[in-house]
Amino acid sequence: MTQPHEVEILLVEDNPSDAELTLRALKQRNLANQVFVCHDGAEALEFFFGDGSHALREIGAVPKVILLDLKLPKVDGLEVLRRLKEEDRTKKIPVVVLTSSREEPDIARAYRLGANSYIVKPVDFEAFARAVSDVGLYWLLLNHPPR
Amino acid sequence: MTPTRLPWNWSIERKLPLFFSALLVAVVLVMLGAAYQQVRNAALGFASERVLRSNKEWVSVFQRSATTQRTQTTTLAADPGLRDFVTSGGRRGRDWALAAMRRIAPDATPNVAMEVWDSGGHRLLLRGDSALATDPAPVPASDSAVIGPFRLRHDTLLYYQVDAAVRRGAEGAVVGRVVQIRRLNLSALARQMLTGIAGGDMTLLLGNAAGEPWTDLEKLIPPPPAEARAHRDTTVAATYERDGTKIGAAAPIPGTPWMFFSELSQQHVLAPSLGYLRRMSLIAAVIVLVGALGAWWVSRRITDPLRHLTTAAAAIASGDLAQRVDVPGTDELGHLGRSFNAMAGEVQRARSDLEHQVVERTQALRETNAELEAFSYSVSHDLRAPLRAIHGFARILLEDHGTQLEPEAKRVLSVIDENTRRMGHLIDDLLAFSRLGRKEVETARVDMAELVRTVAEEVRRGAGDRALDITIGPLPPARGDRDMLRQAITNLLDNAAKFTRRRTPGLIDVGHRADGAETVYYVKDNGAGFDPRYAGKLFGVFQRLHRAEEFEGTGVGLAIVQRIVLRHGGRVWAEGQLDAGATFFFTLRGADA
Repeated sequence: MTQPHEVEILLVEDNPSDAELTLRALKQRNLANQVFVCHDGAEALEFFFGDGSHALREIGAVPKVILLDLKLPKVDGLEVLRRLKEEDRTKKIPVVVLTSSREEPDIARAYRLGANSYIVKPVDFEAFARAVSDVGLYWLLLNHPPR
Repeated sequence: MTPTRLPWNWSIERKLPLFFSALLVAVVLVMLGAAYQQVRNAALGFASERVLRSNKEWVSVFQRSATTQRTQTTTLAADPGLRDFVTSGGRRGRDWALAAMRRIAPDATPNVAMEVWDSGGHRLLLRGDSALATDPAPVPASDSAVIGPFRLRHDTLLYYQVDAAVRRGAEGAVVGRVVQIRRLNLSALARQMLTGIAGGDMTLLLGNAAGEPWTDLEKLIPPPPAEARAHRDTTVAATYERDGTKIGAAAPIPGTPWMFFSELSQQHVLAPSLGYLRRMSLIAAVIVLVGALGAWWVSRRITDPLRHLTTAAAAIASGDLAQRVDVPGTDELGHLGRSFNAMAGEVQRARSDLEHQVVERTQALRETNAELEAFSYSVSHDLRAPLRAIHGFARILLEDHGTQLEPEAKRVLSVIDENTRRMGHLIDDLLAFSRLGRKEVETARVDMAELVRTVAEEVRRGAGDRALDITIGPLPPARGDRDMLRQAITNLLDNAAKFTRRRTPGLIDVGHRADGAETVYYVKDNGAGFDPRYAGKLFGVFQRLHRAEEFEGTGVGLAIVQRIVLRHGGRVWAEGQLDAGATFFFTLRGADA
């Protein structure tokens, strides 16, 4: 399992199938080595803002990109996004919303809260794999984050 | 000159007084005319009566005078002294003769002369003004004296003579004649006296019945017109033209060849009638003025409440339902005002009920919409995730373990693959369709020609190398939601492109025709067409008229087109034959509507 301090991609996804498919798509581009998966919104918040009792707590661990599903148990994706973009420490991390929802209000709200991209997960696996790996490639290798 | 439009569209406030004034003017004019006619006739009748009475009186005066002169002359002729004078041929009895003459007219009586003639035509004696001396004349046949006509001498001297025969004895032979000659003393004074007696305004004339000379007793004048002299009606005087219209009548003086004539000027006779007309007109004008003012006042009494009602109705129409009118009284207008207030109250109550209902229904609708949104969100999210898993893991099975699978297993996997893809399309289309129902239509002017060109370009690109010919006719702009219309046109052109796939070349024609305020747009193709018996099913959701092996699709595209057009208040329909192409029509309001 990838340790928190080495995390480059944080995947927040409750559906194990989608998580597996995402990891597989990233793996095909050799991007899956430093991926950490959170299974709900609460876990994602714990990763960044936990009080340390949780194993995930690691101050200073800053992933290069967060792939965020919107429909999550406990705390939903938009709430996670809001909290991340409120905090100085985390607001520079690019957040790519990766969701099944094509609903206009979701897209508008996500961008208003500061999402950097909004990707609708295609049903078609090839298309899905292409989208995920393109996103990973772009944010990890091509994008220069601010120092 | 163009005819003036009758002002029927004027307000009642103007029409009513105008109508009453016109009515009043008409009535007053008719009455004025009738009254004047009556007064005029009365004046003319009175004038005629005066003329006739004047004639009668003066004729009797002149007749008496003529009788006297005839008697005088007859008496003179029968005087024994004068007879003796004539019989002796003037040789004796001259003084007797003069004495007899003196008994009729004293010496130096002006304007009178007397003559004695023998039967041989010799004047035996002339007494008086020698200027009056007459010429020889036959002896009158009658025993009584004869009055002759007026005669003129030297254009100024107007006279007449009375002749009587002189006999030798009472039954003896005629031996001569005596003549009494009288000059008419013409003077302004004589005329004034005469007309003064008649009333001052009447012209009195005297002359010979047979013609000239005539006089007004001051001077010689031309005789009255022959038609007036010939007028013998004793009840109505004649009317004729002579220096203006005159009313006059002639009367012969019995026992003489003379005629008397009385004449009045019609203008003078009618002057009082015209004065009466003027006074009456003034009064009529005052009556009309008062009437018009009264009508105006009455119409104001009617239109003021009406104006209040109109203002109140307009206020209610613009939303101020608390508006009431104040029209007191128990007449029709008062009833109208009360009915209006009752109606306004009812409208206000109904409106408030309606508002409550609208609030309730809107709330219910909002809740339903929210539920629907939650539902479609769930469908969108939760239905796609397992589908993605099925598709993804089937692919993984094929990719990771393909070498271990038999060909039949691979075929089954490909069927799974294809159906999950299809399911994905169905969900996407269904969501798009449901989203369309909730989206607000934002209308603006849409350049349909430009929109169709853009979409056609995309469709042509999507068709690749296939021969596809899209003709776009001139298209007028429409009012609508640009994004929605773009979706509808995209679906129609995609449809046409899809069903012309087996045609070389595929032909698509986009055009329009005007239909009142609407425009009918159409998309026509030479593709597979459809069986017109199933035309009603074309626009239903998930309704397909072709098998999936022939033409792919979910059966949502045309349902979306219909929903968009209906939400724009338009209509959509299709015409076609199997294997003979199809034409899809839809209507939109023009950009100016």
